[in-house]
Amino acid sequence: MSRSDRRPVGVLALAVLALFGCEVENVAIPSPPAQLALHGVLSPTAATQAILLERTRNGSQDLFGGAVDPLDPITSARGVPEQGATVRLITPSNDTLFGREDITVSGDGRGAGVYRFALSGAALERTGVYKLHARTRAGEVLDAETSVPGGAAAIASVNRTFDRESDTATYSWPAITGARAYFVRVESPFGPRYFFTDSTHVRLPGTLRNTQATGLPRLFFPGFLQTVTISAVDANFYDWYRSHNNSVSGEGLISRVSGGIGVFGSLVRLVYETWDVTAPQTNPVEGTYRFYGTPEEAGATLNIALVIWVESKATRSDQPDAISGQYFKRPQIGAVGCQVCGMIGTMKDGHVELALLRDWYANDTADVFIGDLRGDTLVGSFRQVAGKFLKEQP
Amino acid sequence: MALVLGLLAPCIVGGQGVSATGTIAGRVLLDSDSGMAGAPAMNATVALVGTTTVVRSDRDGRFVLSNVAAGMRLLRVTATEFSAQTVSVTVVAGDTARVDIVLRSRHAPVVMAPIQTDAQSVDREMFQTRPNVGTLTLTATQLSSAPRVGERDVIRAVQLLPGVEARNDFNTGLNVRGGEADQNLILLDGHPLYNPFHLGGLFSTFMDATVGGIELITGAFPARYGGRLSSVLDVQSADDARLGIHGTADISALGATGRLTGLLNGGAGTWSFAARRTYADAATSIFTNNIFPYHFRDFHGRATYSLPADIRLAITGYLGRDVLDANLADFENDSSASRASEGRWAFNWGNRLIGASLERDVGRLRAEQRFSASGFSTTLDLGDGTLSQQNAIRDLRASGDVLLRTSNHDVSAGYDVAAYHTRYASGSSQTGTSDFDITQQGTAGGLWIDDVWRLSSRWLIEPGLRGDALTSRHYASLSPRLSVKYFVTPSLALTAAGGYVTQWLHSLAGDGPLRYFEIWMASDSLIPVASAWHGVAGIERRLRDAGSIRLEAYLKRYPRVMEANWSEDPSVRGDELFAAQGTSYGVDLLARWQPTTGVAGWLSYSYGMSRRWVDTLSWAPGHDRRHDLNVVASWKLARYQLGARFGLATGTPYTPIVGSVARREYDPSTDTWGSGSPILYVEPIGGARNTARFPITHRVDLDISREFRRRHSSWTPYISVANAYNAKNVLVYLYQFGTTPATRRAISQFPILPSAGLRVAF
Repeated sequence: MSRSDRRPVGVLALAVLALFGCEVENVAIPSPPAQLALHGVLSPTAATQAILLERTRNGSQDLFGGAVDPLDPITSARGVPEQGATVRLITPSNDTLFGREDITVSGDGRGAGVYRFALSGAALERTGVYKLHARTRAGEVLDAETSVPGGAAAIASVNRTFDRESDTATYSWPAITGARAYFVRVESPFGPRYFFTDSTHVRLPGTLRNTQATGLPRLFFPGFLQTVTISAVDANFYDWYRSHNNSVSGEGLISRVSGGIGVFGSLVRLVYETWDVTAPQTNPVEGTYRFYGTPEEAGATLNIALVIWVESKATRSDQPDAISGQYFKRPQIGAVGCQVCGMIGTMKDGHVELALLRDWYANDTADVFIGDLRGDTLVGSFRQVAGKFLKEQP
Repeated sequence: MALVLGLLAPCIVGGQGVSATGTIAGRVLLDSDSGMAGAPAMNATVALVGTTTVVRSDRDGRFVLSNVAAGMRLLRVTATEFSAQTVSVTVVAGDTARVDIVLRSRHAPVVMAPIQTDAQSVDREMFQTRPNVGTLTLTATQLSSAPRVGERDVIRAVQLLPGVEARNDFNTGLNVRGGEADQNLILLDGHPLYNPFHLGGLFSTFMDATVGGIELITGAFPARYGGRLSSVLDVQSADDARLGIHGTADISALGATGRLTGLLNGGAGTWSFAARRTYADAATSIFTNNIFPYHFRDFHGRATYSLPADIRLAITGYLGRDVLDANLADFENDSSASRASEGRWAFNWGNRLIGASLERDVGRLRAEQRFSASGFSTTLDLGDGTLSQQNAIRDLRASGDVLLRTSNHDVSAGYDVAAYHTRYASGSSQTGTSDFDITQQGTAGGLWIDDVWRLSSRWLIEPGLRGDALTSRHYASLSPRLSVKYFVTPSLALTAAGGYVTQWLHSLAGDGPLRYFEIWMASDSLIPVASAWHGVAGIERRLRDAGSIRLEAYLKRYPRVMEANWSEDPSVRGDELFAAQGTSYGVDLLARWQPTTGVAGWLSYSYGMSRRWVDTLSWAPGHDRRHDLNVVASWKLARYQLGARFGLATGTPYTPIVGSVARREYDPSTDTWGSGSPILYVEPIGGARNTARFPITHRVDLDISREFRRRHSSWTPYISVANAYNAKNVLVYLYQFGTTPATRRAISQFPILPSAGLRVAF
């Protein structure tokens, strides 16, 4: 968090408002003109380079959205794509590349406002200046430029096991030419936690909490695969993502985009790891539970094993403990997605409720399991079928 | 009679030459209503009106004033919990005039608002003896005439004075004559106090029972004051010279306050101790299953003592803390499946002060030496060290002055030296990273000289000169000051004042309607010293029936004023603030009426205009309010006291929001946008700065209390209602641009806020 980011203190002010203030008026107002908004990042590890071009919100459309579709990142996330623009990228070598809007080639209506350049990450010229120029069908013009830092890009992920109760990961890297700062990002079930540092070393203890998620949950969850990246970023990326607008005055964001608002930055991934997060299993409920039933039941179940950790004990007697872990799907021909996926839930007085996640994010549940722990047996049901799991003895 | 004599006092003083002198000796005694009829009043203040001569009565209530010019003189005697008395004494050259003065208890059952006499005396003496341009005083009783908002609050009463703006109901910060809230020097018994606010500005740290009065200088300060651009607010502790142990207990909807007072060493000194704590946290846990993880607490201590060689010692201590410390897992469950994994939010802030002063009179000389250690700190810790921020300021200060009284001059000279230390840091002890860690330390010093020159019976002139230096910037400046008062008649005076002021402490709090804290940074090699020129001209008339009317116009030019830079880079030093220029001007009107019976109060009206600019970019600061009217009235009827306040003000500027932008998150692990389930931040986009204005605000506050006396105690229950007719005054607008049509929600300032409480005094 930067000095510009005074959100925690803002929370205090909003709490005061919640205590004493109340809404006294809610009126419709005329729509102000919408600006162009740009999100673009050049990355040496990306197969192609893409930028997002959209309009700022001005009340001219009702915007809805749920989970973000990476193939349609504007429309799926309550945005107004700017379609049909002419977008050019001028390389440091003075070559001009034209961006092609994804929606024109996807065939499924996705990708509006996503302009992609036929430029692989490996071909990016480091520390040279890339200039972006966009012209909308209405004739509006937007310009921005960035310079890609140096440094060896981490292409493939390194896997490691991480005990959140005892491990601390430490990283150091050489200073990177052209880097304004280093961007540390950790994926977690409740969204990423990221921060910038000027330093060339950082440590990530298992006790970290996610200050960017509601309720300050732990950052690392036993049973989950969590990705850690450390990237060198340019000044545009750094300034845009470290700054925020004041919620009342609307000032503070640092945009270096001419003719609009947004970011055109660069990022070089230096560290790329996937952690298999674990923790000692000392609570009686913790362990691996295998599906247990008749052959007919076994043929019907979708999930063959559950691995459970008590993620956090409740501090109040009237509330349940938090559970995390992973579940194993029954192998199926043609199955897509993860075979081992994340799981979160609760347990109180032997009653267990689990959300089986579609992947590793808490906002996308594939199935639920509600049951009770009877000795070493977990008996309950999923949405469609019953389930009975027997705990493996160590 | 006393009033008439008081009006003549400057003529008497101004008209005298160097003449023979005499002595006044006497005793200060308590009246029968105090329950200690005839008992001596120790430590009562005895002032020779028209001069700066002040002595205190000893343990036997005795006092002596030497070298008093012959003729008819006025003495004003004050003591806490007693009505001030003004008596005339005829001094014969070479002789000793003897006088006994009986103080009347403020709790006297048959007296209608007796303390009004005190207020009159203070006002009158100020009018007669000092140019007092831009200077406003409120006694404890006047402060108590402003209706409560939950609790009595000295700063909320000050906000009702002319030239003083409250940005909104949620803020006890002061914007004085176009100045920002960090430009006020706030003193407790002459010692600096930083950020004297609770709950982000909703309440001040001053407990009502501990306040004896205030003096507010809204501009063109005398040379003794430095380091701030806009105003000086000196809050004076109440001293209680009564025999025995006395106390007050206040129980309100907000919290409980207790204060005990007594004498030291049989009357050689006084002591008092007060404490306050809010109890919403405790009440919440008793009556609900949830928690309310916030409280604040205050401690205030004060002692005075007469040392050998007639040295008067006074010590003031204050300690306050706001604590917002929650394990979020302790909250009652809501829609989430479990709160068990939630973390801890620890946020606390507060100030502390210990100050001492030594004072001695030797003939026509009076010397005073002060020492203080003052500080303020905030600490925010999220997730047990995952992210923490600190801001702290420490101020070790020594100051002193010598006053030489002659027949026509009160010449004083003094110094102040402050060793300061500030720290502003953000980082994570867990990851070992630091966003920034700024430490500043240095020494600021000032030398000043000031002369209150009674040029004639019509002219009072107060020239002054102040020199300031700051080691952290190798900075030095000279600040001339001048105040002039011309008595057209004994009850009508024209005033003018001007001066140059500088400020080397700056706040990063910003310009929004919600100003949480002053986050202090000092001038150094990268941050310049701010400065301003003040000019004030006015007219004041004392009314025959205990009232006054004052009209002042002011012009303030800021050659340099520091503004918080919301887009600064945490890893770059020196961009935390940017320098702007500015101007503020306006007119303030104050009409006060303080009769001994009936309705008392004041009417204040302020017209103001402020601009700030950098190069060609110009804007109105967020506190730029054009018109502000306040009427405050209190009526003491037998044992009932009624209080009312009406406020009417035009709106302050705000920045209209002209849209919003969704911030897309780039995921470096997949090189895609929006993967990883990030929170979608939608940022409001501000238009041109402060180009719109909130609507007019208005509000009525009411307050009624009744006193019950039982033996030596009084019980005073009260009921108060803030915003009695529930005016829907706008605090902020919140916008929604993700729907059709776009909408704007107005969030209110205080809704109707009834409260009740009880004060017990013994």
